[in-house]
Amino acid sequence: MKHHALQIVLAGLLCAASELPADDPVDGETVRTSGGQTEDWTNRKYQPANLWAYRPIRQPVPPDDSRHPVDAFLRAKRPGGLAPAPTAERLTLIRRLTFDLTGLPPTPQAIDRFLTDKRPDAYPRLVDRLLKSPRYGEQWGRHWLDVVRYADTGGFANDFLRPNAWRYRDYVIRSFNSDKPYDRFVREQIAGDEITPRTSENLVAVGFLRMGPWEHTGMSVARVTRQFFLDDVTNSVGQVFLGHVLRCARCHDHKFDPVPTRDYYSIQAVFAETRFAEVDAPFLPEENTSGFEAHRKYHRQRTDANNRMLASLPDQRVTPDDFGRHRLGRKWKLLFNWSADRYRPIAFSVYNGPGNVRRRVASRLRKPSQQARSKSRPNRTSILDGGDVFSAGEPVRPDVLSATGLAATIPVSFDGRRTSLANWIIHPANPLTARVIVNRIWQGHFGRGLATNPNNFGATGQPPTHPLLLDWLAMEFVRRGWSIKSLHRLILTSAAYRRSSSHPHPDTVSRLDPNRTGYAVFRPRRLAAEELRDAMLAVSGELNPQAGGLPVRPDMNLEAALQPRMIMGTFAPSYVPDPLPAQRNRRTIYALKLRGHRDPFLTTFNQPGPDASCERRETSNVTPQVFALFNGQESSDRALGLAARVLKTADSDSDAIHLTFRLAFGRVAEAAEHRAAMAHWKAATADQADPPARRQEWPTRITRRANEENTGEPFTFTETLFEYRDYVPDLQPHQVDARTRGLAQLCLVLFNANEFLYVY
Amino acid sequence: MTRRTFFHDLYGLGASLGSIALTSMLSSTRAASRRPHSSPVRAKQCIFLYMEGGPSHLDTFDPKPRLNSLHLKEFQRGGEEQSAMSSGKRYYVQSPFSFRQAGDSGAWMNTRWKQLAGVADEICFYRGLQGLSVNHPTANFHINTGNRFGGDPALGAWVNLGLGTENSNLPGFVVLPELSYPQGGPANWSNGFLPTGFQGTALRPQGSPLLNIRPPATIDRTQQRRNLNFLGQLNRRHAERHPQHGELEARMQNYELAFRMQTQVPDLVDLSTETKATRSLYGIDQPRTDNLGRRCLLARKLVEKGVRFVQLYASTWDSHDYIAKAHGSLIDGVDRPIAALITDLKQRGLLDDTLIVWMGEFGRTPDNGIRGGIKYGRDHNPNAMAVWLAGGGVRAGHTVGATDEIGSTAVDVVHPIQDLHVTLLRLLGLDDDRLTYFHAGRFKQLSQFGGEVIEDLIA
Repeated sequence: MKHHALQIVLAGLLCAASELPADDPVDGETVRTSGGQTEDWTNRKYQPANLWAYRPIRQPVPPDDSRHPVDAFLRAKRPGGLAPAPTAERLTLIRRLTFDLTGLPPTPQAIDRFLTDKRPDAYPRLVDRLLKSPRYGEQWGRHWLDVVRYADTGGFANDFLRPNAWRYRDYVIRSFNSDKPYDRFVREQIAGDEITPRTSENLVAVGFLRMGPWEHTGMSVARVTRQFFLDDVTNSVGQVFLGHVLRCARCHDHKFDPVPTRDYYSIQAVFAETRFAEVDAPFLPEENTSGFEAHRKYHRQRTDANNRMLASLPDQRVTPDDFGRHRLGRKWKLLFNWSADRYRPIAFSVYNGPGNVRRRVASRLRKPSQQARSKSRPNRTSILDGGDVFSAGEPVRPDVLSATGLAATIPVSFDGRRTSLANWIIHPANPLTARVIVNRIWQGHFGRGLATNPNNFGATGQPPTHPLLLDWLAMEFVRRGWSIKSLHRLILTSAAYRRSSSHPHPDTVSRLDPNRTGYAVFRPRRLAAEELRDAMLAVSGELNPQAGGLPVRPDMNLEAALQPRMIMGTFAPSYVPDPLPAQRNRRTIYALKLRGHRDPFLTTFNQPGPDASCERRETSNVTPQVFALFNGQESSDRALGLAARVLKTADSDSDAIHLTFRLAFGRVAEAAEHRAAMAHWKAATADQADPPARRQEWPTRITRRANEENTGEPFTFTETLFEYRDYVPDLQPHQVDARTRGLAQLCLVLFNANEFLYVY
Repeated sequence: MTRRTFFHDLYGLGASLGSIALTSMLSSTRAASRRPHSSPVRAKQCIFLYMEGGPSHLDTFDPKPRLNSLHLKEFQRGGEEQSAMSSGKRYYVQSPFSFRQAGDSGAWMNTRWKQLAGVADEICFYRGLQGLSVNHPTANFHINTGNRFGGDPALGAWVNLGLGTENSNLPGFVVLPELSYPQGGPANWSNGFLPTGFQGTALRPQGSPLLNIRPPATIDRTQQRRNLNFLGQLNRRHAERHPQHGELEARMQNYELAFRMQTQVPDLVDLSTETKATRSLYGIDQPRTDNLGRRCLLARKLVEKGVRFVQLYASTWDSHDYIAKAHGSLIDGVDRPIAALITDLKQRGLLDDTLIVWMGEFGRTPDNGIRGGIKYGRDHNPNAMAVWLAGGGVRAGHTVGATDEIGSTAVDVVHPIQDLHVTLLRLLGLDDDRLTYFHAGRFKQLSQFGGEVIEDLIA
């Protein structure tokens, strides 16, 4: 084991060297671009294999028309002598498919229905049923939000609020659920405000452009923070839609790819007139605006308490407490004013025109009057030498990625630049766009893309293992009207997707296909952080399936929730969960996402940070995961919920064990498991004979203490945690009998079992 | 195997026993592969004292008498680089502190450094460092990870990659934060693109040192052991059904490891076994110094047990106003614990093996806007700052580099952050150009694109 690990680490460090492209192969190929900063770069040669992504999408014909086209392409590349694994059994299939499309486990009823469905098209029917579920958009929207870095705050020192960002999250989920054609999805996010300036949907969609972390503080230099945004949006559009890390070309022509610095700034010029604004955008009927009043009640309580605290301070501040509390009260007043925007029909959006002057850094940013725009002219963008905002070099016009060979005409007026770029991105002759999204979808199903770096189709990303298949899928995707659901159906009905994760001859697989690119077996995966929490809630019957709306605040490890945190030069208000179980036990995608205060349960299970685009999630296996899942309150609560649910319906003890297994694993217990489970339950029940000494208490106040920054002396401040005053906990151990508490121990073990965490 | 497969399998197998076990796997082969890059080896572990908020060099170790004659005279700064904070009238501000020279080396210090003056000759002061960021989180990320925007591995992660750990039961990179995490949060001790096992483990100063280190009150140790046994049974049966799935075994072992750690970690952070003399040396139980004193003593215990890299945070030095009171009491709070750490390591013969770094994310400006009266403070200044090093291999008893006569910018032995990174690695026997990891299309390194060793800091 030890030796093995070391080999892997070392190989990981060393093997990549041989994969680095030679800078200038003698017999390579030149690429026509807009031109580099030097003659040498402009004329340099590339290894042809590294240019695959710029070649036109071919129109390949499946090599064998007797099978599913996907399988025909895969088979053509499979090493000779390697027979694929048989089809997975039905139970495995429904669990695989249900988690894949909805992020939730199948119910026992759904399993029964599928296992007994003798119709020949039982499987495609299942695919269709799951694609129609509103849970589908929540799962696949999550994949998209990973790539675009969704969060409800701006990050950095102040972690400023984005009170209306949640509408973008719901826009994405709705788009997936309604199977919005991808070309339209792209256009709305890049240029929605230009295309139909009065549609809430589109004003919300362009929130994409400012989804990255960003802040402007009293210390910031305006041109520098503006440039941070321009660099961020340039790189983001490159990564998300074109599979290109454009950032590399900010300071110099790209080292490996045919991306000149001129292209980087030409694309940046498209956004030169794009400015931030929080604009009026009436709520749509399909948006969830329920629960505002319940929320606002606590908002009012906090605001009133803060105003009272401020009023109680002496005019002449003397003690560290006076100073510290005054500072905190002032900042919170700003923050609470701003957070009231959450309940208003406002879109986190952009407009074209001259910059707006923000009177305060911590408030809504309004669009300036039309007058201001008529008095000004559009900016000129220049190449910045060394990427330095104060070293403007040669001017550039708005333009696109030249190596694609597909030109675009982009106006230099205020309006229309982004629409033109979006139209270029979704042009059927653009070689990148369809390949990039098709590859992301493929990765979602198989755990690995055909090209394994979905954000990087350049020379330093891995080329596709099945280039013809990728092209065929891209072609089909466009032909079918950029329908993502249609693409899912195409992939999910292949034999490759339905294959078992066990192979009858594993040694043959290892010998003939050490990289597992032959798709001879299905790759198992661990549940993502959100799936794990959602699955426990679903199994325990506590999940509230309500869709969309204001960000919800689930329970968080209490110590982590109350961990003091500094924003805006003072303490941030504490994280307090929503008071009612139904409010808290929503799907994780609806949880408030603060860049500066993330839920440790989710981060431990590899939820990526929203600062960098995540092209693919990691699945590490570290001891804090054991602490979180075996010791944490969340899993204990869910275990008790499951035990109570089971005992409500089970006819006998034996039946209870079977039902528990069916809910958690989708199957009944084997005889030996059943015996062990009964014994475990019995022992645990004996252990739990005495009711817990006292019910758990939740703090309704917390006192903070810190060095006051003006005086260097400690000050204290007591915050009332209003929601905890009305807090209704989930089912508690003292509310149930020893038998339920004992069964909960069994349920906790099931939630920790590999069978629960892995999908095969 | 392709690179991607390696990374995938690395998470599945290599790093599968968790951070602790991973570093243990690396350490067992250290002799063969984890040799330091250069010899002679100097320090083999590092304690990084991070003064969060940006301590003023002008009020700690870099006196500027010239400011006394400029005090309250108008200061101009202009052009497009002007921030909102530098708009309006600004004035020079003299230091409210008195200074003296300490030790045989005659190092300049604010007279409030009472204990540190006694170990002045162990220290190498550096006045030439310059950063790039004027805001806290980006400056923190820059110093901790080499990348202003975060997301890259922290210095402590790189050091563990280079040197491995000497204790298989403890993480190689431990962070001792204040109760409030520094700006930028855990990204300051991230493993970045290195395997998860290299991330800094933050031991919380209050409550549980690690979240959920104990089960809920309703589960006693007997019950938990029984749960663990039943879990083992289920998992073993499951593994029989999935013999080709390699991750399962590692995940099972992780549960046993965690069960053992539940008792080990609380023991580790228990300082009650230390003598009264040691505790008072660090200022433990004294209201001003207890906070940092405890963590400095814990840092010593950790390096004694073979932890490679310990980072402590002391906040907040962000004195925009009332610098006399603010910096005065901060110095009072950290002076004794830090001097005690140097003294204690020395008397235990550990100082030569340990590199100590003291710095914040930037220095402060010689000028300030007067806001609502006479409450002099200073703003952020990445062009000049105070840094000092002590312990293994450093040029103790010297002051290296200089700032201009008002302390607004470094002018002598001027180096960017990446050069300090390269120097710190060198002091630990590592070569930044060889300590690389392939990620996102290229071999990455702490300095980002290479740097130059600041030879003047090395003995």
